[in-house]
Amino acid sequence: MTEVGPPESDPEALLQVRDLCKYFDNESGLLAGVQLDDEFPYVSRSTSDVRAVDGVSFDIKEGETLGLVGESGCGKSTLARTVLRLLEPTSGSVYFQGEDLAELSGEPLRRMRKNMQMIFQDPQSSLDPRMKVGPIVEEPMKAHDMLDEEGREARAKELLEKVGLDPQHYNRYPHAFSGGQRQRVNLARALSVNPDFIVCDEPVSALDVSIQAQVLNTMEELQEEFDLTYLFIAHDLSVIRHISDRVAVMYLGNVVELADKEELFENPKHPYTRALLDAIPVPDPRSGGRTALLSGDVPSPIDPPSGCRFRTRCPEVIQPDEYDMTEDAWRNVVEFQRAVERRAFEETDPDALRSRYFDDAVPSGDAGTLLDEALGHIERDEFEDAERILVERFADQSVCATTTPAYEVPSDLTDGRHYSACHLRRDEALASAVDEPAVDDAARPGAGATEADD
Amino acid sequence: MSEPLLSVRDLKTQFFTEDGTVRAVDGISFDVHEGEIVGLVGESGAGKSVATSSILRLVDSPGEIVGGEIEFKGETIFGLEEGDDGELRPRDEMLTEEEMRQRIRGREIAIIFQDPMESLNPVFTVGGQLREFIEINRDLDADEAKEEAIDMLREVGIPAPESRYDEYPHQFSGGMRQRVLIAMALACQPDLIIADEPTTALDVTVEGEILEMVTELQEKYDTSFIWVTHDMSVVAEICDRVNVMYLGEIIEQAEVDDLFYDTKHPYTSALLDSMPRPDRTVDELRPIQGVMPEAIDPPAGCRFHSRCPEAREVCREVHPEPRELSEDGEAPHTAACVKHDAFDVGYDESPPIETQATGGFSAGFTETGGEAE
Repeated sequence: MTEVGPPESDPEALLQVRDLCKYFDNESGLLAGVQLDDEFPYVSRSTSDVRAVDGVSFDIKEGETLGLVGESGCGKSTLARTVLRLLEPTSGSVYFQGEDLAELSGEPLRRMRKNMQMIFQDPQSSLDPRMKVGPIVEEPMKAHDMLDEEGREARAKELLEKVGLDPQHYNRYPHAFSGGQRQRVNLARALSVNPDFIVCDEPVSALDVSIQAQVLNTMEELQEEFDLTYLFIAHDLSVIRHISDRVAVMYLGNVVELADKEELFENPKHPYTRALLDAIPVPDPRSGGRTALLSGDVPSPIDPPSGCRFRTRCPEVIQPDEYDMTEDAWRNVVEFQRAVERRAFEETDPDALRSRYFDDAVPSGDAGTLLDEALGHIERDEFEDAERILVERFADQSVCATTTPAYEVPSDLTDGRHYSACHLRRDEALASAVDEPAVDDAARPGAGATEADD
Repeated sequence: MSEPLLSVRDLKTQFFTEDGTVRAVDGISFDVHEGEIVGLVGESGAGKSVATSSILRLVDSPGEIVGGEIEFKGETIFGLEEGDDGELRPRDEMLTEEEMRQRIRGREIAIIFQDPMESLNPVFTVGGQLREFIEINRDLDADEAKEEAIDMLREVGIPAPESRYDEYPHQFSGGMRQRVLIAMALACQPDLIIADEPTTALDVTVEGEILEMVTELQEKYDTSFIWVTHDMSVVAEICDRVNVMYLGEIIEQAEVDDLFYDTKHPYTSALLDSMPRPDRTVDELRPIQGVMPEAIDPPAGCRFHSRCPEAREVCREVHPEPRELSEDGEAPHTAACVKHDAFDVGYDESPPIETQATGGFSAGFTETGGEAE
C-alpha cells in the first residue's frame, strides 16, 4: 500500500488526482547549485527542490464544488495549475474523464483543454486591455474551432447576458468595467467553450464584500444551469464555507484534511484545520474573538519537516513513547523547545527559565535529565547545543516526526468520507476500520501510515 | 466626557482633476479619545485613505483640503478662517509644515500602511531603518538607538531579533514586515497611530496574531488608534467605536456592539448581510446591488439611495446629515438616514422608488469610461 493521500478512489469521479507532485528547481542557470569544496572532487552539484505540491490525491465528482483552502504559500495555485497541466507535474497522475492528463501531450491535450477552464484572481490583468470584451469571450471558441463567426458573436452575447452583463457591452473595452464586472467577463470567457470543469483561483478575493456576494451568487446560478464542476481556491474560509460541497485543507504542499463542508467546519479533525478555523474573525463583536492562535512561521518547502509537516507548529504534538511525562510537562517541553529555536528570550539563568516555562509541571526521569542538560548549555550561552538536544531528543522522537499520517476517520455529521492526516486520529480510524474491514485498506495500521521517506 | 485627543470637524478634501472635482471626503466629523481604537470602515473608493492622509496633511496635488478643522491635543493641524478680502486662508495658530514634520508626524501621530514592502526601503537593513528612525525622533545616539530598536523588534514578536536586525526587508515574510512597521510606529510612543488596512494583505492566522499583539501593546502603551479597514470582522474584533463611510461621508457612527446589533443605516445592514459567515452556513448571500457611484458626481439626496432597498422618493431629494438617534442614557449613535423619526421629512408617506436594489439584476456601470465605441 503506497497511497499517502486521501484514500478515496471513485471511478465515477470527473477528476481523480493521484499522488500528484510538483517540485520546482530552487536555482536555475548553468552553474545552479554548484558548490566548491576544499577536498576532492572540489566541485559538487546539489540541487534543492522546492516541494510546492507533494503527494496530493483527491477526487472531484461531477457537479460538485471542491473548496481548496490554505495559507499563502501552501501550494494551492501550483496544485490548480498542475491539475490543468499548465505546469508539468513532477510525478503522479490526473485522470480527467478517465484519461490521464499527465500522459497526454500535443494535440490530444489541447483538445482536452476545451473541457477545462480557469478563472484567475486578478480581474485586471487576466483581460487584454486592447481587446474588446466580445472578442475576448470569443477567443477560446476560435482556438477550438467552434462555430462560425456569426455563431460565435451570438454565443458571446448570450453568455454576457447569462453572467449578468448587458449584451450591448460586446464592444466595450475591459477598462470600462468595474472589478466585479471584469470577473463576470472572465466567467463568460471560461464558459464559452462549454467546459465541464472550471478551476477558480481566488476569483473573488480582489473584490469588495458587497461585490463578492454578487459574483458568488452568479457562479452558483451558472453551476446549476450548465452543470459545472468547480475546483474553488480561496484563502477566505467564509467564502469556502459558502460555496463548497466538500473542502480540502492544504498545508505546505499536502492535503491535511478533506471532508464534506458541514463536517469539516463543525467537526474538524486536524489540529491545523482547527487552528485555521479558530483564526477566522467573526463579524460579531459578541463572539469573543479568536482563540488559540498558531505561533511561528510556515517552514520552508525546500526542507519540509519529516512526518507530519504541521508538527513544528502543532499545539498537540504527540509525546515520544520513550518518555513518561504528564501532558502538562510535555506541553511545557514543546513550548520551551520552540522558544529556544526562535531565540525568544535572552535569559540564561536556569532557575528563571524554569519558573517561566515549567511553572506548573516539570518533566521527571530521563526527560528531566535531558532538560537539565539543555538548561546547562543555555547557562553557558551555548544555544545551539541546547537546541540540538531539545530537537533531537524530544521533537524528532515523536511519532509525528517519524511517520507520515494518513487516516480515514468516520464522519459524524454527514455520509461523506473524512480524511485526516493526523496521528491523533489513529485510534478512531482503527476502530472504524474494524467495523467495516472491507471498506478501506488505507486506514489499517501500517497501511495508511507509511514510513517517512527522509 | 473628557476632551478628545483628536477631533475632526466637517473635513472636506477634494481632488481637482480634468474631469471635474472629486469630492473624496465630503464633510466628515469624528473624535478619537485617549486609549481608544476607532474604526473607519467602508468599501474601496469610500474615501477612507484620503481621510487619514488629510489628518496628517499628507494630501498632495491635485488634492487639497478645502474645509473643516482638525484639532490634536489642543493644537490646530488644520483650520481656515475668512481673511479681510473674504478669501479663506489658514488660521495663524495652524501648525506650519515644518512643525508638522518635526513634531507631529512620527512622534505624535504615526501611520502604518497596507503594503509593508513599499513602506520599507529594500536596499537598507530592517534594523538600520528602525534605528535611524529612533535616532532622529528620540535624540538617542546610535548605540542606544540600536539597543532600543532590538528591544522593539523583540516586543513585536520577531524571533531572534539580534540576528534579524541585519537582514533586509525581502528576507522577512509579509507578517514579519508588518510587525517591523508596527515596531517603527510604536518606537516613538506616539499618542495616536493611524493604521491604514495593515492586515488586509495577510493570511487570517497572521492577521490574528498581529491583532492580538496590537491589543496587548495598546493596553501597555495606552496609544489611541484609528483603524482603517474594509473588513467588518476586524472591526468587530478590535474597535471600540466605529465610523462607517460611504462615498466620502460618514453615514453611521456608533459603539461597536450597537453597530452590529442595533444597526441604524441601511448601508451598514446591507454590508453586514452581504458577508459570507465563517461560523454558519448561509444558503444565499444578499449582495448590495450595483456599484458605488463615482465621487466626481455623487447622486443627489442620500448618496446611497441608488442602491438602497429601502429608498423612497424623499431620499432622492433630501440630503441627510448624520443625527443623534440614541435615547437618553445610551451611548451616542448617529446615522444619516431619513427613515428615522428624528429627521421628520415625511419618509413614511413618501412612495418607494425603483432602484438597483429593488429593480432586478442589471449591474450599473462606473460613471467614467463607459462609452461604447
